[in-house]
Amino acid sequence: MDCKKAERFLLLSLDGRLDPGKLAALKSHLEQCSSCRKKGAEYRMILDLVRPQSVPEPLPRFKERLIARLKEKEQAGPALFWVRWAHWAVALSLAAVILFGAGIILFRPEEPRELSRTERFLLQDENPLGDAASILSQKKAEDRNLMLIFASFEDTDISRRYRP
Amino acid sequence: MDGGRIKCSYMDEKELIRRSQAGDGEAFGVLVDRYKGKVFSLAYGFTRDRAVADDLAQEVFIKAYCSLPKFKAESGFGTWLYRIAVNHARDFLRKDRRHQKEISMDAVGEAILSVESQSLEEKQDEEERRKTVQAALARLPEKYRVILTLRDIEGLSYEEISRILKLSPGTVDSRLHRARRKLREKLMGRLGRPGGENGL
Repeated sequence: MDCKKAERFLLLSLDGRLDPGKLAALKSHLEQCSSCRKKGAEYRMILDLVRPQSVPEPLPRFKERLIARLKEKEQAGPALFWVRWAHWAVALSLAAVILFGAGIILFRPEEPRELSRTERFLLQDENPLGDAASILSQKKAEDRNLMLIFASFEDTDISRRYRP
Repeated sequence: MDGGRIKCSYMDEKELIRRSQAGDGEAFGVLVDRYKGKVFSLAYGFTRDRAVADDLAQEVFIKAYCSLPKFKAESGFGTWLYRIAVNHARDFLRKDRRHQKEISMDAVGEAILSVESQSLEEKQDEEERRKTVQAALARLPEKYRVILTLRDIEGLSYEEISRILKLSPGTVDSRLHRARRKLREKLMGRLGRPGGENGL
């Protein structure tokens, strides 16, 4: 028998689970192997030290205290039921609001878009120059300046009125 | 008998369980009286603190009471209760690492008082070794600590441990042996006593 097997048999022997044949083989090995004898003594000492020498009693009135706790738990039961379901209700409501909001944002019908100036000029054949065309077509500079001065009278900011 | 009503304390366990499941608090109280010692002892084996073990044991019975409707008598009530106690103790060990340190001075004091035949020096020496072993046990992985507590502290049989932990007997065997080897490895050279006779 090798020491590994002997250790296994040792541990079984501590629980009285070794049959007589194996027990005899173990004893024979231990007579020749001081290392396994030492190991056996260590295991027995450890198991002895693991067990508490005395187990105290539970604290006094164990059953009475337990019954009081059970009664408290039963009384808190209905409130706890509503608290638990309130959490679910709040969570579901929040989820519904978020989904509703997302739905509105994603599926909102688009308002008709106003055409830009460029799109108006191109698609509706508008003249980009507008009133400026008549001013720019004047051959004389003094006529052009006069028309620009009159056009800028509409501007309420005096600093922005045309000055030749 | 009292007006044809049998006292709960004389009923067999099946009847007590049936009545407890029907809401009979007195029947459940009898079950508590019968098992509080074992449940407390198991809790104490894990915590080595009387107050903490008392609280754990109370919580085990509260869990058992709430789970009574689910008890189907496939295993014995004691086994079922022990299973709740072991699982609850495991949760406690995971959450509260400060209780995995050395045993309290109260427990050491109780241990010293109960050993009267030794000299003071021998007693102190033994208590030091006991504290060392307890500290090493507390540092073992949880599955090893649980099985050592059930077998070597509570003295449950392999078959009982197999039912409580829902492990095959072979797994109980190998896990227990690995746990004991691990514990010895942790204590190598720290206990300070020479090896001796095989004593078999």
